Amino acid sequence: MITMKRLRYYSIILLAVIASSCTGFLDKLPEDTLATESIDYTDLSLMYEPVSGIYRMAESENPGFVHWMDFGIRGVRGDDLDKGSSASDQSTLTDIKYFHNSYAAVESFWGLNNSWNDYYGLIIDANSALEELDKFAANIPPSDNTELELNNRYQAEVRFIRAFAHLVISREFGDVPILTDNNALTTVKKSTVEDIRKWISDEMDYCIAHLQDCRPNQATPVGAVTKYTAYLLKAKVCADIAGADNSSTYWDEVLTATNAIMDSHLFSLYGDYYNLFKYSGRLCDESLFELQFGTENDVQPGAFWAFQGPRGDQHGSSISGWGFMTPSSDIVTFLKNRGDKIRLKTTVLYCDTATMTTGPHAGIKYGVTPSNDTIWNNTDGVKYFNGKAYLPTSDMYNKSASYGERNNVRVLRYSDVLLLNAEAKIRKGSSGDGPLNDVRGRAGLTPITGATLANVLDERRAEFACEWWGERYNDLVRTGNAATALSSFGFVAGTSEYLPIPLSQKAYNVNLQ
Amino acid sequence: MKKLRNFFWDGSHTILKKRIVILQLAIMIVLASTGNLYSAVGAGSADQQAVQKKISGTVTDGTGKPMPGVTVSVKGMAIGAFTGDDGKYSLTVPETAQTLVFTFVGMKTQEVLIGSQNVIDVVLKEESVGLEEVVVIGYGTSKAKDLTAPISSVKSEDLVKRTTASAMDALQGNTAGVQIISTGQPGANPTVRIRGVGSLNNDSPLYVVDGMFFDKIDFLNPNDIQEMSILKDASGAAIYGVRAANGVVLITTKKGKLNTKTTVTYSGYAGFQTPVNMLKMANGKEYAAMEVDKGVASDLAHVTSSVAKFGGSGVNPSTSTDWYKEILRKEAFTQNHSLELAGGSEKAAYSLSLNYLFQDGIMDSKNSYERYNIHGQTDFQAYSWLKVGYNFILTNYTTFAPNNSAFLYAYLSSPLYPVYDETNTTAFPDKYASSTSIGYANGAFSNPVAAANYYYDRTKGFQILPNIYAEINLFKNKLKFRTQLSEKLASLSDLVYTPAYYVDAYQMSTDKISHLKSVQERFTNYVLDNLLTYNDAYGKNHWTVLLGQSARDERWRALKGTADNVSGIHDEYMYLDLSNSDNRTIDEDGTDYRGLSYFARATYDFASKYLLTATIRADGSSKYQQKWGYFPSVGAGWVISEENFMKDQHLFDFMKLRASWGVLGNDGVPANNGFSSYTTGTGASGIFNNYGTSSGTYVNGYVTQNFYRDLDWEVVQEWDLGFDFTMLRSKLSGTFDYYHRMTSKLAFKKPQPMGAPDIYGNWGKVLNQGLEITLNYRDKAGDLVYNIGANVTTLKNEVKDINGLAYIATGTSEFPTRVEVGKPVYYFYGYQVAGVYQNAAEITADKIGTDNGVQPGYLKYKDKNTDKSLNESDKVNLGSYLPKLTYGFNFSLEYHGLDFSMMLQGQAGNKILNMNRARRLWYSDMNGDRNFVTSLWTGDGSTNKYPSAYATTQGWNNQASSFFVESGSYLRVQNVQLGYNFIVGNTESPVKCRVYMTADRPLIFTKYNGFTPEIGGTGYDTNTYPTAATFSIGCRIIY
Repeated sequence: MITMKRLRYYSIILLAVIASSCTGFLDKLPEDTLATESIDYTDLSLMYEPVSGIYRMAESENPGFVHWMDFGIRGVRGDDLDKGSSASDQSTLTDIKYFHNSYAAVESFWGLNNSWNDYYGLIIDANSALEELDKFAANIPPSDNTELELNNRYQAEVRFIRAFAHLVISREFGDVPILTDNNALTTVKKSTVEDIRKWISDEMDYCIAHLQDCRPNQATPVGAVTKYTAYLLKAKVCADIAGADNSSTYWDEVLTATNAIMDSHLFSLYGDYYNLFKYSGRLCDESLFELQFGTENDVQPGAFWAFQGPRGDQHGSSISGWGFMTPSSDIVTFLKNRGDKIRLKTTVLYCDTATMTTGPHAGIKYGVTPSNDTIWNNTDGVKYFNGKAYLPTSDMYNKSASYGERNNVRVLRYSDVLLLNAEAKIRKGSSGDGPLNDVRGRAGLTPITGATLANVLDERRAEFACEWWGERYNDLVRTGNAATALSSFGFVAGTSEYLPIPLSQKAYNVNLQ
Repeated sequence: MKKLRNFFWDGSHTILKKRIVILQLAIMIVLASTGNLYSAVGAGSADQQAVQKKISGTVTDGTGKPMPGVTVSVKGMAIGAFTGDDGKYSLTVPETAQTLVFTFVGMKTQEVLIGSQNVIDVVLKEESVGLEEVVVIGYGTSKAKDLTAPISSVKSEDLVKRTTASAMDALQGNTAGVQIISTGQPGANPTVRIRGVGSLNNDSPLYVVDGMFFDKIDFLNPNDIQEMSILKDASGAAIYGVRAANGVVLITTKKGKLNTKTTVTYSGYAGFQTPVNMLKMANGKEYAAMEVDKGVASDLAHVTSSVAKFGGSGVNPSTSTDWYKEILRKEAFTQNHSLELAGGSEKAAYSLSLNYLFQDGIMDSKNSYERYNIHGQTDFQAYSWLKVGYNFILTNYTTFAPNNSAFLYAYLSSPLYPVYDETNTTAFPDKYASSTSIGYANGAFSNPVAAANYYYDRTKGFQILPNIYAEINLFKNKLKFRTQLSEKLASLSDLVYTPAYYVDAYQMSTDKISHLKSVQERFTNYVLDNLLTYNDAYGKNHWTVLLGQSARDERWRALKGTADNVSGIHDEYMYLDLSNSDNRTIDEDGTDYRGLSYFARATYDFASKYLLTATIRADGSSKYQQKWGYFPSVGAGWVISEENFMKDQHLFDFMKLRASWGVLGNDGVPANNGFSSYTTGTGASGIFNNYGTSSGTYVNGYVTQNFYRDLDWEVVQEWDLGFDFTMLRSKLSGTFDYYHRMTSKLAFKKPQPMGAPDIYGNWGKVLNQGLEITLNYRDKAGDLVYNIGANVTTLKNEVKDINGLAYIATGTSEFPTRVEVGKPVYYFYGYQVAGVYQNAAEITADKIGTDNGVQPGYLKYKDKNTDKSLNESDKVNLGSYLPKLTYGFNFSLEYHGLDFSMMLQGQAGNKILNMNRARRLWYSDMNGDRNFVTSLWTGDGSTNKYPSAYATTQGWNNQASSFFVESGSYLRVQNVQLGYNFIVGNTESPVKCRVYMTADRPLIFTKYNGFTPEIGGTGYDTNTYPTAATFSIGCRIIY
């Protein structure tokens, strides 16, 4: 039994050896996670990747520009859009529309915090992408001017998106932080509305110097922002700074920037205003910035289109949605009164202009769109739906596609350039008739001679009616017309302009209180 | 339509019935053949053993009463008998037989030397309840009376008494300190919390089944469980180190014993589940009245549209659909069968079992749980010094998960439209009625029956849990070495299929085409344990030392694909590559965590009077940057009843004081990368060139994630003071424990400003403390044995530190909870309702009322700081989801062969946020429970509790407030069982039988306005699967 006894002890020793030989057993990389350390920054063919990532983030909901609620907040203030849906659905948007900014329910509203996080989340990602570009830049030989300039161009694309996000958030909340350092999230201080715009203007100077000199639809990759997109953003923030002060030197800046775009002769208005917003109008020669989407499930703007789609029993039609953000009777009357037929048919979808006489739906009211889709009535009393969000069945890649699928979200257009140019000219005492009438002509309207500021502002309202960036409300605020135009909603100059910074954000950063 | 119904329903029933028949046949064959086998062997041995003798006698209890049903067996031989009604037995034994063994449940087993006796009368004594019992502890066993830790040992009988699919469900109300929340959904796991919530990440205990680590034990059949111990405190659990913070549930499965005759046991039950205590929803008339009372045109339109389309007159629609009735089965079948074979010879012991369980869901759709288990085990005494063995449990299951949103729709949907509507011409394949036909424009009001039926979610999975061990006796049974390798090899395949369907624009399959999701997962875990145990004694000093080492690896990998346009006519067609669309996606995910541990335990006792236990575990984990943690514990016990000064008293039979302290870890915290990472693919690549005829193309991109922080496991420090006793001649026994658990390094996501991702860190502290009391009284009145037991647990949960934050906002933004220092975790936060504004004068007199434009019939909120303005500072703590008190009572009677038992269970002091009612914030047109809809304010003085119909549509009344926070207290009749035990056959080869009837969870008493007050998560009742009562009959046959 000696051998047996030995076997006994040998086995123990063996197991002890096995057990103690596990050095490095615990040193293990996490599964399914890529460390940035593994990125090869010397491989300059990867240099555009962080930039492409930022476009993708801008096209997303969270973070990004297209969350349905964020549009709800951007769009509901003003006189173009009603909240829509049923009265009690997301009723805090109604509080926002009526400028009940002091209500506790508004300050703690989830939607406010949502939009704040969506825009700043994008800004944070942009800051990270710029750090990535710096890492590539560090690997470019000083002599390689081509790659260095390419790196500058890429930085400029990211900086444009970052600047635009700052503009959108400042139009909503007023004085907010300029965030260029991701380590300062809890300490960053607010900047004034004016300082934010000045900073954007400076950022655009960098972008203008480095971005591609072409239309976005000529750019590489197709649809990237170019020098002229930066010019337009510069013009817009300068107009914001100048406000109603015709003597402001910022009107010269508006003029210079818009002239630069017009003088390039690259851009032209898309002839068919109605189709500008449909599938064929994507990235046309009028486009300066669009958020692009595809047919793949994962590149959709969430519920952005469905949010605005026709409400009620649509009897099997894909032209259907939640029925929010509907054209107000005010904008319908406004367009009708000025005989703005093309813009009216583009902006407004009707659902109760006729009554079905035969078939299973006899007795039900409906409307027919210019593209021959039927829109059925609803029991919530919603009369109009947003026509600019409408993608006809004929434009769908298959008949059962979801509403709006594969259409792009339009952001910046050449008509804005022309109207800002006209406005600047008039404010500076010269004639704005030329650019104004270009815009009117495309909409099928007769030219105006000796156009006034009011003519331009009316034209802006009609041209951008019911779009997604709060242009109408911003125009009323920057021109000082809000108190009159929005008096029925309770607008008070000096207090109503901006929404309160979300309660929870104030808790994180004392500098926001 | 026919095809679809077939596909979802009829087919499986036929298969099911066939399966039942086959199983029953198998059981009969096995029973019959083993019986023959046994009698043949018996006869053979009788022939060889020519010299035999007959022994008879009477077995009585302490009071002289005869005891029927006592097992009398010959030690080391497969011979045995039972006593009859008169307590008498007779047995033919070979000359070589030396000892008779008398066993009876609840009595001390007695062994008697045969010698030359022919008549052996025996008086059986009652067992001092549980004290001599050996309980399973971490990496070993101990006598209950020697423990310094509060360990609850659960008897196998208690587990199988309940007709639940999972063993943990069966524990509800059974054990102090253990809170179980179960849902009625077949195959769903219950929530298990031991001694409160000490983590915001993972509050589930660790399950150790035959040495293997699990986070749930739904794969086990309760019939296969031999012993279950619940290690509640640090002294018991610290040996499991970083996994032990939420308590440890130790399970050993059934084993054969050396030198025992073969026993065959069949047990099974069949019955039906039926929804009970259903909440009454408002019917068509009541709902219509509310809609009319609102005075809002679009709401009135629902009523008039229903009249116009589906009948009725004026504002009195004739339609009144009871959606719950439409989607629920009145009787859902359930059955469980188990067949076990166990025995042992001199050198080998074995057990083998086969289990089958089927549970149909109460939702009337494809919704069920079916499970097979095979369990086998063999121990070999290979040499006198070497024992080896293996054990395996194979589990094979199929779950058809229900579409739980059908329950949500059933709550919200208007009763004013029917299930089917032939005029809904655009609907396909079935002509379901659409909510839009009477003017609803929100998917939340979708047809619940369509939602339940247009759904297919099948998970098929299997798991093999093998382990193999060797135990070497190194020195005189004192020094032993054991090594064991345990594995979990599991795989599952989940198919989620949505057929192409259309009811209306808000209820349709995306793009009106079918969608298939296929998920394949695999788990390959192992644990390797090496244990060295030394126990010895010197005089009255006894000690045991355990040294151990353990390594483990837990690997999971999942592959997920989706495809469009797949035919679902047959299950066999559900493959991603049978899609006729290019729109396919693929995803993969995985984790791999390793652990390496060294541990030691020393126990010492002096004369079984002074007890000491100390353990330490060093745990290494690959999950974190911090690799090693150390988890010590000490426990002491003083058995007062062993002291001389206690010798003369007769009140207490046993009395022990315990105290313990220890440190535990919780690595149920997400892994920490500790580096910046990035994502690629379509989610991080911009799409460009959506221009002209192009639909756009991706340009490769990536997005970086630079927010990270060193994260670590959570640490719990626990104190426990306990007192165990038995008194009144062991009739009354009890245990008291006070526990104090402080979690430090509490990990939570600190929300970051500006949309940056939340970052995790070990930032907080939370304290759980309370009392656990268990009492049991067992006595006899004549032939009637009765038992009354109770257990009560109190819990006080308090957040102690959250790194200087004022609070952490949690829960939903509209109906929030908060984590705040000095308060329980996740307390509900909102206004306190003071009443309802009754008239205009009351509003005029109230500044808050006028400032917010309220109307009579609106809720009135309490102005806490009396500053005459309602804002954040008026919001208060509305209570916590954690019960302050959980309790269980059991009561049983035994009279000859008859027994009756009843168990009650309940909780008090917790709050539920009734999201069903609160959803009115989003869905003002929704239906509601009858109590709500018919109690609304209708004028001055009508009610001071409910708002008016119009007010329900207004945001003011739907803010987070005490209106939506209700008490979750309840008392439930958990289980009632009536059984009869009898013996079939002669005393030479008796068959012990038990037949019983069970009502499981038949009744509940609660004031809560929902389907069940058993709400998991953090107390939001988002309309869970209703709990069903199960009524069944069963039998157990032991041969």
